[in-house]
Amino acid sequence: MTKTVKQMEVQRAAEDVRHRMLAGLPQPLSRFIYLASMRDYNTGVYYHDGLADKFSLEVACEALADCHREVFHELVTSPLAALVGQMEAYIASSQVRTHEFLATWKGIEPYRVAVPVEADPFAAEFLFSNLKIALAIVEDHLTPDRSPSPVA
Amino acid sequence: MIQMLLFSSIGVALLALLYLFALRSDPKPEGGAQALVGARGALTSLRTGLLPLDLVERVFAQDDLEFVMSRSNPRVQKIFLRERKKIALAWVTQVRKQVLNLKAFHSGQSRLYAGLDARTEIVLALNFISLLVLCRALQAAFYLRGPFAARPMIAPAISVGAKICSVSERSLAFLTPGEQRFPEAAGHREA
Repeated sequence: MTKTVKQMEVQRAAEDVRHRMLAGLPQPLSRFIYLASMRDYNTGVYYHDGLADKFSLEVACEALADCHREVFHELVTSPLAALVGQMEAYIASSQVRTHEFLATWKGIEPYRVAVPVEADPFAAEFLFSNLKIALAIVEDHLTPDRSPSPVA
Repeated sequence: MIQMLLFSSIGVALLALLYLFALRSDPKPEGGAQALVGARGALTSLRTGLLPLDLVERVFAQDDLEFVMSRSNPRVQKIFLRERKKIALAWVTQVRKQVLNLKAFHSGQSRLYAGLDARTEIVLALNFISLLVLCRALQAAFYLRGPFAARPMIAPAISVGAKICSVSERSLAFLTPGEQRFPEAAGHREA
């Protein structure tokens, strides 16, 4: 397979990922976690049997990696308000109690292992920082009295 | 006899010199390859991670500040300002570090590879100085007055950084494979 043909195949597979696999996940945060879960922790290779059957193992892997990078960029450039909304929607869809979710995410920070391998370290740190702030805001939303007041 | 002594001492001196060269602990790779790799890495880091406008605008976004200040309690506001300060400082420190890497390349190696004219070199030197001064000013402002205090200085820093990247890209173009530099030609070949 020549380089150009392979690139076209990867693009077709990535379109397939966007329109089929990710169609049911409207929020970038959900897509980000979902795509990260397809990657082998030890090898960094992405696996999806259906996609690999339709294309090839290598093409499927590259398409998933492209989509992961794309979603990562979308997430990094999301306004904080949108990120908080995405986090609340993700918690609601995860069917885990919010307090439990917040405790886990604050404790073990699972999002740290979810960034694409070639992600720029500064962009990754910015995302982690934003997620930390979003967690604090979601936690704040749970408290009964949350009237805003300026920082001293 | 005198001639023999003279030639012998020259021979000994040359051998001693050879021995000293062989003993050098940190031999540099031919052509300063490390400097080239460092410069290429710095350029990639600046282009893809530190200077993209959408990312930098998001780091210093007014709407994020307003969102947190209007809706959250003081504890969250403090977390937000602390996190943004940390990120702002990390950003400016990284930009400064990568710019220093590029400066080292330009002052040491680039004239061996890139035919930059005198005017370009002078403009580049001025750009390096102004960006490094801007970085120091930004660091001081972030430390003393917080991450949102120096917003007017961000755009000029990005602009000067982009100019430096552009000249550096040209200087390092010889490292880029032909197909990437001349995609049209590569396309013709494949067709």
